[in-house]
Amino acid sequence: MIRRYMLVTALVMATAGAAGAADKKVVRLWQTETEPQTLAILNQTAAAYEKTHPDVSIKVEGLAWGDLERKLTAALAAGAPPDAAHGQPITCVSFAAKGLLRPVDDLADSIPRDDLVDAFRNLCRWDGKTYGVGHSPASSVFVYRKDLLAKKGLKVPRTWDDLVQVADALREVKDGQVVRYGLTMTGQPLFINIGVGELLKTNGGRLFDAEGRPTLTEKPVIELLDFYKKLNRVLPPGWTGHAYLDTFANLANGKAAMLYQAYGRGVGYIEKYAPKEIADPEHFAVADKVIGPSGKTPAAQLDCEPWMVFKDAKGANEAVDFLKFFFKDENYIPYLHSVPIHLLSIKKSTSRSPKYADNAMIGKWRSWIDMQEKYFRNDWIKPVLVTDWDDMKKPYLLEVMGSGILVDMVLDSVKGMPSAEAAAKAQKRVEELLASAGHLKK
Amino acid sequence: MLWILPALVLIGSLILYPVGYAIWLSFLDKHSFFPAERWVGLGNYLKIAWDVEFWDSLWKSVVYAAATTGLQLVLGVAAALVLHATFRGRTVIRALVLFPYMIPTIVAVIVWRWLLNETYGVVDHLLLRVGLVREPIVWLGVDHMMTSLIAVSVWQFTPFVIVSVLARLQTIPLELYEAARVDGAAPWARFRHITLPQLRAVLFIVVLLRSIWMFTKFDTVWLWGEGAGAGREIRTLPIYAYMRTFTYYQAGFGAALAVIMFLLLMAATLVYFRLYWREEEAVA
Amino acid sequence: MRRALVRTLVYAAALGLAAQAVLPLLWMLSTSLKPPREVFATPPTFVPAAPTLENFVRLLRDTAFLTYFWNSVAVAGLTVLLTMAVGALGAYSLTRFAFPARELVAKLILCTYMFAPIMIVIPVYILARRLGIVNTHTALVLSYASFCLPFSLWLLRAFFLSIPIELEEAAHVDGAGRGRAVLYIVLPLALPGLIATSIFTFTLAWNDYIFTRILIASDELKTLPVGVQDLFAAAVVDWGLVMAAGMLITIPALAFFMAVQRYLVAGWGTGGLKG
Repeated sequence: MIRRYMLVTALVMATAGAAGAADKKVVRLWQTETEPQTLAILNQTAAAYEKTHPDVSIKVEGLAWGDLERKLTAALAAGAPPDAAHGQPITCVSFAAKGLLRPVDDLADSIPRDDLVDAFRNLCRWDGKTYGVGHSPASSVFVYRKDLLAKKGLKVPRTWDDLVQVADALREVKDGQVVRYGLTMTGQPLFINIGVGELLKTNGGRLFDAEGRPTLTEKPVIELLDFYKKLNRVLPPGWTGHAYLDTFANLANGKAAMLYQAYGRGVGYIEKYAPKEIADPEHFAVADKVIGPSGKTPAAQLDCEPWMVFKDAKGANEAVDFLKFFFKDENYIPYLHSVPIHLLSIKKSTSRSPKYADNAMIGKWRSWIDMQEKYFRNDWIKPVLVTDWDDMKKPYLLEVMGSGILVDMVLDSVKGMPSAEAAAKAQKRVEELLASAGHLKK
Repeated sequence: MLWILPALVLIGSLILYPVGYAIWLSFLDKHSFFPAERWVGLGNYLKIAWDVEFWDSLWKSVVYAAATTGLQLVLGVAAALVLHATFRGRTVIRALVLFPYMIPTIVAVIVWRWLLNETYGVVDHLLLRVGLVREPIVWLGVDHMMTSLIAVSVWQFTPFVIVSVLARLQTIPLELYEAARVDGAAPWARFRHITLPQLRAVLFIVVLLRSIWMFTKFDTVWLWGEGAGAGREIRTLPIYAYMRTFTYYQAGFGAALAVIMFLLLMAATLVYFRLYWREEEAVA
Repeated sequence: MRRALVRTLVYAAALGLAAQAVLPLLWMLSTSLKPPREVFATPPTFVPAAPTLENFVRLLRDTAFLTYFWNSVAVAGLTVLLTMAVGALGAYSLTRFAFPARELVAKLILCTYMFAPIMIVIPVYILARRLGIVNTHTALVLSYASFCLPFSLWLLRAFFLSIPIELEEAAHVDGAGRGRAVLYIVLPLALPGLIATSIFTFTLAWNDYIFTRILIASDELKTLPVGVQDLFAAAVVDWGLVMAAGMLITIPALAFFMAVQRYLVAGWGTGGLKG
């Protein structure tokens, strides 16, 4: 019987052991673009690279956001990070500060200085060195149904108050049932964090002062929470439970007329699920982000994960070399084309190149790209929870985001808690969080 | 003794070692990503005692575990009694009823979140059409998040109770019922005085396992609330421990929460065993 | 008259039970047969207006679904084999051999369920790395097996207890060793229990998400739940594709269940949960 047990174990071991690669150097890259066609392009690029580098084997794995962070946590705990990985800009800085990363100035310098969009130069810098190069930037955009606004003679909203009024006017009721809401927004925690950062910036506000102390009791934040209360009256009643993808579904199937936080990839949703005759930018148009009562300029938050290379990884140099290869136009353009309106170029030259423009989707939805590039050019765009580029030096933004304190603040206020009280509660929790991690003296 | 060794080695290395590791971690102040660690003794536990979020999540766990276990028990026993009756197509229906327990949680959650969506889901659409409600019920909003989670969990895990009870029902000697019928006992009395006592031992174990598993349930709860801010309405203890480790990046604090959860369950189980044995003696 | 009423009630209840269980399954089936533009039609269509098999074709042609499928079958199958072998040995020894603290061991085994599984995934990863089995199916099989063992030991122990020891002794008299006695006499009698336990084990291994996600890095080694989650997490949810995947995961499990449910129902309770 014992012999039988050993046999089974041996069998199990043998089945699994056979898979190991022989003598090639394996370079592992974890990244967050999970569309099957994007993965296919990355695998093609890897295969092309392996042809000229027969001693290297490149393994690219796609992972959803939450999963990447979980895997990084486990891998770092075991002292076995991959060779390179995507991260949030704030993750990248916090890793760089702890000395986990290899500087990638060589990778950054492989792109001519004046070719890199300015906003991305600051994405992940620490102590005068570059620790991350964004794979491709995207900005959140405001989308509205042009036809529906025109039918009701409504103007495109410019301010927070406009937005609430227009949303109210767009709501349609039939037989006592709401058949269309004026506005849809996601209640997904990551996107509430993004929304708070972005709305606060359009209201001239900030999350932290120069000393790094949270500033949630300041006027722009209170106004923001009051604004959420007003939004709550025009949004679908279950908006706090709507995931980011639900809001695209609402927009595409006509259940909502405007979407505050849309992204370029939403175009795919529209093309796939909206009625054919309206699946175009003439019906789903983009406009600037609305401005708050205390603010002057629009603002959006940046979706651009930098490639980070781990210092102790065996294949660190090979990973950098592969990434240089990845950023070459012949590989980069097919990558960008795999999710056309969402994966934009970090290189000015690429976004102007005719080869890049030679794509049906890009031709059709150009207005969506132009809107995003306008935000890059004007420096109206910052990473999540960053309202000033100096915030990037604060190594605790990641924890603030993960704690969900800002999400709780918004939900408290939406559920009826006075804005000042919700803000004060969140302020206290953030202070405690920072103090317990030694970032802030009590 | 040798024969159980492989089992003990596996359980020991893959469960006890990790549990030991977590206990050790609970005495440290450690960031989830970075290797630096600092011994803080009972520091994490003291912090937990004063942590409002902890007490809140503990309460939610108790509500969730009690409600789901209770409903599974009542519905499971009722369903088992129905499926124990003889009728045509029984084999097929038995298999269908067990199906929710077989599908991967991820699939169950994706489908149910869609069915219950209040803007395009089918459940509200049907309720409206039949005229049971005037306005769509917001199953996934702050007000009903816990209710919908409990409903889906009960849907998913009741088959476990059904199977266990159904199996036991089949071993109850028919003569007991015949005798009762001769004595003129009504159906309810037969259930109360014959079926229930026979099911006692099964139900004891079923309640024990199910409440432990529901109290530590992670995947269904996490996936149900992950994509939504309203998810905080279902932030149970396992979710909170997970968040401390994986999103606050406080590995020590997270581990301490897991240890507390473990101790609470141990205590509850001991009390449960005691109560059962006392009653057992009273019966005997 | 009353009899007829009871019969009607039983049928109604049975149908209700079946309906609540399969409603999501039917919705999955209906959606998997719809072209994209019908997916969000208002009002929803229950029977697809223009049914198509395209989603299934794309699933099998354009994604690694089949690879994930075979991985799941392999991992779940090996987990069942390992758990059964180790569990049967252990449970048998808990009933037939006297050794110190036997009862205590049985109780302690149950305690392992009181630690939230999610919290041990990191230490398991660290351990797997030390053993050099990160990113292998071995790691998955070993972890699932150790999760299933406590329950399996309890269940099988109760089964072995219900098998009269005299039967084995008779075999001894006939000159069979203990190994042969167990193999030819005890195991066949405990078959329903083994089947019940293996279904529990199979379900756990077939459905697990988090361990596969953490322990497996290569695409070619992923199992179904992770593969489905990746399809779902892609930027634009391809509902038809996801639902087609859901169907193809469910149907084999359901067929398997129908085939063995007779044993399962007999097994899971007879010995098992008597305590």
